[in-house]
Amino acid sequence: MELNKLFDEYYEKSYIQGGTTCCPGCGGPLFWRLALEVLGANTILYGDGPCAYCAIRNIKLPTFGIHFSFAADGATGIAAALRVKGRKDITLVSSAGDGATGDISFGKVSAAAERNENMIQICVDNEAYMNTGVQKSGLTPFGAWTTTTPLGKEAPKKEIPMILAQHKIPYVATASVAYPKDFQKKIIKAKGIEGFKYFHSVIPCPTGWRFDPAKSIEVIRLGVQTWAWPLYEIEGGILKLTMKPKRRPIEDYLKAQNRFRHLTDDQVKHIQAMTDQKRERLLQQDGKRIIF
Amino acid sequence: MDGNEAAAWGAKLSRAEVIPAYPITPQTELISQIAALISEGIMDAEYIKVEGEHTAMAAAIGASVAGARVFTASASQGIAFMEEALWMPPGRRLPIVMCMVNRAMAPIGGLRPDHNDALMQRDTGWIQLYCENSQEVIDTVIQSFKIGEDKRVCLPVAPCYDGYFVSATATPTTIPDQSEVDDFLPPYVHEMYNIMPGEHKPTGGSSDIAKARYEVEKAHERARGIIEEVDKEFGKRFGRCYDGLIEEYNCDGAEAVLVTMGSMTGTARDVIDEMRGKGKSIGLVKLKGFRPFPTEEFRKLGKKYNAIAVVDRNNSYGSAGGGIVSMEVARALYALDDRPLLVNFQVGLGGSDVTMRQIEYMAEETLEAVETGKVKSVVDWVELHDLGEVM
Amino acid sequence: MSQIVRSFRPVVDMEKCNKCTLCQIYCPEGTVMVVNKEKVVFDYRFCKGCGVCATECPTGAIGMEREA
Repeated sequence: MELNKLFDEYYEKSYIQGGTTCCPGCGGPLFWRLALEVLGANTILYGDGPCAYCAIRNIKLPTFGIHFSFAADGATGIAAALRVKGRKDITLVSSAGDGATGDISFGKVSAAAERNENMIQICVDNEAYMNTGVQKSGLTPFGAWTTTTPLGKEAPKKEIPMILAQHKIPYVATASVAYPKDFQKKIIKAKGIEGFKYFHSVIPCPTGWRFDPAKSIEVIRLGVQTWAWPLYEIEGGILKLTMKPKRRPIEDYLKAQNRFRHLTDDQVKHIQAMTDQKRERLLQQDGKRIIF
Repeated sequence: MDGNEAAAWGAKLSRAEVIPAYPITPQTELISQIAALISEGIMDAEYIKVEGEHTAMAAAIGASVAGARVFTASASQGIAFMEEALWMPPGRRLPIVMCMVNRAMAPIGGLRPDHNDALMQRDTGWIQLYCENSQEVIDTVIQSFKIGEDKRVCLPVAPCYDGYFVSATATPTTIPDQSEVDDFLPPYVHEMYNIMPGEHKPTGGSSDIAKARYEVEKAHERARGIIEEVDKEFGKRFGRCYDGLIEEYNCDGAEAVLVTMGSMTGTARDVIDEMRGKGKSIGLVKLKGFRPFPTEEFRKLGKKYNAIAVVDRNNSYGSAGGGIVSMEVARALYALDDRPLLVNFQVGLGGSDVTMRQIEYMAEETLEAVETGKVKSVVDWVELHDLGEVM
Repeated sequence: MSQIVRSFRPVVDMEKCNKCTLCQIYCPEGTVMVVNKEKVVFDYRFCKGCGVCATECPTGAIGMEREA
């Protein structure tokens, strides 16, 4: 059929085949389509398993999929082999979920950053172990329900981008699939920088966050607008906010997801206070050197 | 030259391109030697100073899928720490070479050698070749690349040698000539999994699981012959060879044999020579290849000798019958109609010395078993006896 | 190829469509395309019927219809 051919060509061009095994409304395949569009064909993708892999499996470029205890480390080997072969033309992307980046492979990502390995380290963050059925990770936000935090998570989300920035790597960026232009600009920038680049994007997970898949982009956009997930980059130690939305109650974001529905008013107030603090701090530091 | 230096030179002469490694006693001298060879410009390789053994193996895997020749080394707790990653290279058919510098596992054991650290990886799919001295280490490292990279094999290889007794003991060692090694070992051509853009070969789907596992098993089957073939070719070129998977030493006309592995073989050679001199009918079999296991070779031994005594420098808790090697030997011999006696010894556990007196004791016990036709116990923990004066 | 199981399918009313391409940009699976700035098409082989295109459409041109 003519239409099928048209779509097949489109999938070839965007380096990812439609029909992933991801849930409806998952931000994963969207994440990769946006990234691959600007990464281009000369890319090697090394990535960890579970959720992220559901999308990675459909990628048409060379990929090496492995378990999430292996974040960044295999890519370190690939980077070394590329140096040996003098292949400076290839972009090496190392991807990991929030569980790999924040928990089991935290040390590996940190060590690769310390060695300043030449790769773009990506965190595809859906804020819990989703593929195993929604278990809490170090990047699950405060208060969120998961199957291992039935009363809501007690601790806050780890600030991985800031922790990575403290490794004095050349580039750190946060992004959101709700803002494709900002997202792609940051990937393009990362691609042009030598050394370890860290790119972190929260992606929507209707299944684990408990909302209607149709609202995926709406919810993730609310995350940025309420400053739950601020968008910034840190280049050469200097912080730059790339999106400075007006203050909007965090409740708008929390109410949109049933993983937060058990929160008490006090807990919401607490989250609001924390978010305000973060917002004010970021606005104060905008344009300034924050890494010394 | 000690064993660690020999291994470093083996890697250098083999032109290993990427070396991800993390230090652990008694392997440290090996990797600092490599760092020194690189910094002095003698060796041209990327040395990745990783933050742990799990990463060392993972980086080795990454470098290998991108087409580099990879060498690394570890020991004991380090091997255990990377175990998850150790399953990948055989499954992905990556010919990584990793020296396992044998050291006892904690907590009952020290920094000194026994073979449990490597033997507990026996099911991962790695080829394991146990070396006796520095010369064998350097030669085996070079051979390992040739074996692992052979199109018919495509498997990772672990040259194993005892910490301290081999790793830190200097013995006269000939360093092969670089151009000779270059002729013997051509540059690595990536036969299986390849991740480079444009050359990318995807792996089979999950429906092929049994078939893929069978392929690894078949590769081990083929490796038996190839280990011998490579050893012979090495012998022709360099004048030294190691008789493939097992070596029979001073066995002519013997009624029984002791089977040893690793550094204790050197001690055993002296003891056996002396005992043969006194007319005792016992020979020595050095087990070099533990994986693939020389099953057929042991069946041949089983037909030739009345008793086979396995000296295990390891133990398998709860097995109720000898160490790991003896279990493998028993399995091999079971198929024979007329089975020899199987005598099991455990000695040198946790890195204690295996003395000449202990070897003499084991030889005598074995000969007694031949005489009486009976084996005294399922397994003899040699170190629990007071054997008196050294031989 | 296994069949995608879907409760709803997107349908477009080209009268209302302003060709902004947001449906194409945000479709998680890449199964929506605006062809030649004149036609919105869906790849029903792979569309999971999540409804993101309908939600993101600023003119309400995309509706979700229950699958038979």
